[in-house]
Amino acid sequence: MAEKKKKKKSESAVEKKRLVSVIDIGSTAIRLVVVEIRKKSHWTTLDRAVQPLSLGRDVFLRGSLSPESMREAILILERFQELLRGWAIPPQDVRVIATAAIREARNRDIFLDRVQVRTGFQINVVAGIEENHLTYLAVQHALNELRPQFSRSSAMILEVGGGTSELMLLSRGRMAGSHNLGIGTLRVEQQVLGSSGTTTDNGRVEEFLREHIRVTREVLNAEMRLDKIRFFVAVGGDARIAAEQVGTREGELFSVISRDAFVTFLDNVRSRSVEECVRDLKLTWTEAEGLFPALLILHLFMESTAADQLIVPDVSIREGVLLDFTIDPGHGIRKEFVRQVSGAALALGRKYRFDEAHATAVTHLALQLFDQLKDEHGLTDHARLLLEVAALTHDIGYFVRADGHHKHGQYIVENSEIFGLSRTDLSIVGNVIRFHRGATPSPGRSSLGALRWSQRMMVLKLAAILRVADALDRGHLQRIRNITIQKEESGLMIQCESLGDISTERHGLTIKGKMFEEIYGYQVVLL
Amino acid sequence: MSAPERFINRDLSWVEFNRRVLSEAQNPAVPLLERLKFLSIVGSNFDEFFMVRVASIKRQALAKQRSTCPTGMSPRSQLKGIHTAVARITEGIYQTLLDEVLPGIAEVGLERVTPDRWSEDQRAFVGRFFRENVEPLLTPVRVDVHQDEPPSVRNLQLHAAFLLERETGGESQDPQDPPGPHLALVQVPRSIKRTLFLPTERAGSVAFTFLEQVVLEQAYQLFPGYRVVEQCLFSLTRDADMSVDEERDEDFLEAMEQILEHRDLSRPVRMVINRRSTKLQKVLAKLFGLESQEVYACPDPVDLAPLMEIVGIDGFEALRDETWRPVPSPQIDPDAPVWQSLRGGEVMLHYPYESFEPVLRLLREAAEDPDTLAIKITLYRTSGNSPVVRALVRAAEAGKQVTVLVEVKARFDEERNIDVAQKLERAGAIVIHGVARLKVHSKALLITRREPTGIRRYVYLSTGNFNDRTATLYGDIGVLSSREELAGEVGLFFNSVTGYSVIPGLRHLVLAPHSLRGRLLELIKREARRAQEAGRGLIIAKMNSLADPVVIEALYEANNAGVKILLNVRGICMLIPGVTGMSEHIRVVSVIDRYLEHARIFHFENGGSGETWLASADWMPRNLDRRVELMFPIEDDEIARTVRRLLDIWFADTVKAHQLGPDQTWKRVSAKKGRNVLRAQEEIHRLTVERGAIQEPENRQLFSVRRTGEAKKR
Repeated sequence: MAEKKKKKKSESAVEKKRLVSVIDIGSTAIRLVVVEIRKKSHWTTLDRAVQPLSLGRDVFLRGSLSPESMREAILILERFQELLRGWAIPPQDVRVIATAAIREARNRDIFLDRVQVRTGFQINVVAGIEENHLTYLAVQHALNELRPQFSRSSAMILEVGGGTSELMLLSRGRMAGSHNLGIGTLRVEQQVLGSSGTTTDNGRVEEFLREHIRVTREVLNAEMRLDKIRFFVAVGGDARIAAEQVGTREGELFSVISRDAFVTFLDNVRSRSVEECVRDLKLTWTEAEGLFPALLILHLFMESTAADQLIVPDVSIREGVLLDFTIDPGHGIRKEFVRQVSGAALALGRKYRFDEAHATAVTHLALQLFDQLKDEHGLTDHARLLLEVAALTHDIGYFVRADGHHKHGQYIVENSEIFGLSRTDLSIVGNVIRFHRGATPSPGRSSLGALRWSQRMMVLKLAAILRVADALDRGHLQRIRNITIQKEESGLMIQCESLGDISTERHGLTIKGKMFEEIYGYQVVLL
Repeated sequence: MSAPERFINRDLSWVEFNRRVLSEAQNPAVPLLERLKFLSIVGSNFDEFFMVRVASIKRQALAKQRSTCPTGMSPRSQLKGIHTAVARITEGIYQTLLDEVLPGIAEVGLERVTPDRWSEDQRAFVGRFFRENVEPLLTPVRVDVHQDEPPSVRNLQLHAAFLLERETGGESQDPQDPPGPHLALVQVPRSIKRTLFLPTERAGSVAFTFLEQVVLEQAYQLFPGYRVVEQCLFSLTRDADMSVDEERDEDFLEAMEQILEHRDLSRPVRMVINRRSTKLQKVLAKLFGLESQEVYACPDPVDLAPLMEIVGIDGFEALRDETWRPVPSPQIDPDAPVWQSLRGGEVMLHYPYESFEPVLRLLREAAEDPDTLAIKITLYRTSGNSPVVRALVRAAEAGKQVTVLVEVKARFDEERNIDVAQKLERAGAIVIHGVARLKVHSKALLITRREPTGIRRYVYLSTGNFNDRTATLYGDIGVLSSREELAGEVGLFFNSVTGYSVIPGLRHLVLAPHSLRGRLLELIKREARRAQEAGRGLIIAKMNSLADPVVIEALYEANNAGVKILLNVRGICMLIPGVTGMSEHIRVVSVIDRYLEHARIFHFENGGSGETWLASADWMPRNLDRRVELMFPIEDDEIARTVRRLLDIWFADTVKAHQLGPDQTWKRVSAKKGRNVLRAQEEIHRLTVERGAIQEPENRQLFSVRRTGEAKKR
């Protein structure tokens, strides 16, 4: 008996060390990583695999995946599945993501279905702006040692992919802008050649990229002065190849390449054919093919900054995915991430000249309500983040017109990029803004559009909280700061520290509290 | 004036290696049965050499190809050189065998009795044996010497040839059938042991003869109506080279099987024949299209392979080396699972001085262990009914993921390996039949366990195969390790050879053909730079063969930069040492002793922070360019020191060492006056026993008590 107990105990100890795998179906390769989570958000990489496959070439040139590529991709995924069996990882701990190539393929649903049937893998097709978020998480993880320097100056993070490139601008450690740019090593071929030719001509590629990036740089410069940027972070396989060749390892998870060495290396690659790169640099064909455009894109952006070196972290979107689903909310990286998201929302608000004092007051109140109503709404921390963004931006529709500003706000948010939020997230936030005033919708309402049932319920729960919070600063004078909630039979009693007259707020609550009552079943009373 | 020679011809150097082996057979200090073993080894070495190398040069010669040899020797003159040298060595073999070894063992009662000396009893015994056991297996084939197709005489199978004439008075019914002489061939059966022990009256002694002699003696019975005019024994050596269509992925095993059949009928490159009939010799040479230099006329026994059966006979201990029992590694706790002994880091195993048992035990334990998730291994040469394969089969049947890379192209082990592959597949293992266009020669094992502290991996990398039999004969070094970074890289190596991934960037391991050549050259060049900067450089390398012209040129350059280079090369060495302005700082030594020197160790002094590597690869083009090989660093300081000491011992040998001179000849090394005599293998054995004895179980004050339930806790 005692023995049995002991065994059980050791088994549970075994279970604590969780094995997790991420498979990333990219534009130029399918990659796999297996890690063991040792402590929260600390992991050891146990296994890696890469199979080059140019899905991006199909999609960016022809619009859809060719039957051969699909077969090849499935074969690779079947091999990966075999590899994962050797690690005995349960299916729920395997994340399979796909980026631009699959995202843009006309026949992506067929592909997703076939993969599911043949391998059981459920592919999560990552939206463009979500890639930014994942990349950012990974970079932060790798460059943790550099955080103090980052918080003092400006930085650009750039990941060149096959289909799209992720670019983030940080000002004193705060997210000043994040973009999913439509340039990539494979797409550039299509852009330069159309669908007519297949020969790659470095000269034409260079001409095209120079012009394209010049325009992009001007747009970015409006967001933040690029010439003040001291840190240039280059993410991705091509940057890592450069780092292996001419970089020096400076941290456990990153290398550094001096600007001069990088330029020399770029010249070196420019003067070589793809075959020569394969031979001399010992690369796979796919790696060699994309190397020149990737390095050139990095170079063209770096040129506009004051950075004297490239920092190349040893991470990729896969580590971002790992962080995303393994770190717990209290962890530093998550907190930092939440700060970046709210920073981005704030930046959006400022862009549309919102009443910042009101917005932050409502946010503060809404989050207090959210936290104290945990048992009532049962929502996750991610919902809390969406509430925060919605509260910060709930009035930005005023920029268009006061009348119907909730609808304008929804439109603006859904058509903006907020760092860290997926398209679905933005749609939820947009709907919360949409329903922070006006008639209470039913969950079946068509304007809740493409959202799933659980997401619609989230919209309603969050909108109800936002309405109450908005009412508590109806006068836009921030007379109510901190609140405490007591649940009583007669309703929800809100006790507050107030400064001055709060009759406007009291009145507001009687109007805006209705939805709350419908959803949570409590009447709200301001004491 | 011609440019000074920079290389020794590769194949002549291989023949020279066999001369060194022969010199052990001729060495009166070596016990007689060991001498017999060396004779048999030289014989089978040549068999393989003719099948592969001579066949290939002959093909070049026939195709009138230009020389591919860096010495510039033409294929023709290489063949001539080879045949001249092999003929001389063959003479030496028979002289030693007939004048020294066979008379020597006969003196102590192990006697070969030739048919002319068979007693009545023995004759009767042989007659009965022939009728009951041999005759049913014989299929005489009559050969028309004028036909186009030569008869299908299988590779390396001993045959008897007969010239027959019709008995006088016997009239043929068939006018087409001339009276003779006729040629008939009979294959000596493969399924019967070649050594036949004869009854003898002398107590305590053993008399034997060879099966082929029985066939010859009794052959008259095979051809009723005919008279045997002349008879002889012969065997053909055929071209064993093969190229399989690597594109045929789906039925690769089948393609391999077809090639193996083909090997039995490909072009003959040598005939060994006994000197019984000059007439038959001529007929057969013509029949098989052999040049005169390709015909080796020898005394009996023409086939040296069965001498191994005599070597393996029970008793006669006085005729053998004293037994050196492999010592159990003192670093492996015999009472706990092997992986427990590895948690502290790394354990080196030096075979055959130390036992291979820990590796077998590790595999067996992993197969039975519920926490083991996966086992990955490469198999190149494995023994018949190998315990390695048995453990893998058990593990696969127990539901573990077992991935086995079986190199079905491992020459002369193809059939066995195909069999192993199928056996493993049936058990549910993932079997990879090698890599297209490359042979996987690396020796690696990776075991993944789920332990309470998380995933733990155990790796084993070696210079030798996973073969329990050769582990008692070949000098190899293996390293067992639980070092995380190393294990991770071995995992990546397996991912690339199992088709999960492209070849990864590796920091510890060096992989051929991807990066091994480049890294070696880099290491040699670095040493040259060190020598130029600090005036001191040292490379010590031990390998089976040194035959890569590019590496050799790099060594010459290092020599000229002042690097001292010590090379312990057992077999082929194309480098010429001791030549002023090219190689005066290079010393080449070859140790030929009871164990086959097989380890590949490369040490670079690197200005004081020495680096020592072990590898599965020799410095030969085939290893660096056409095989998947692994070179791995010794990271444990203690092991590195041990290996460094071993290297010194191999160069200090004054008993079994030969040194290559600037004149390209090998001379036996002897102890300088007043210096100690040292035999490297004996010294290593002594040191290993000494080291093991310190921790012998006798010295322990505590019994290792087994109690229920405790094993699980471990």
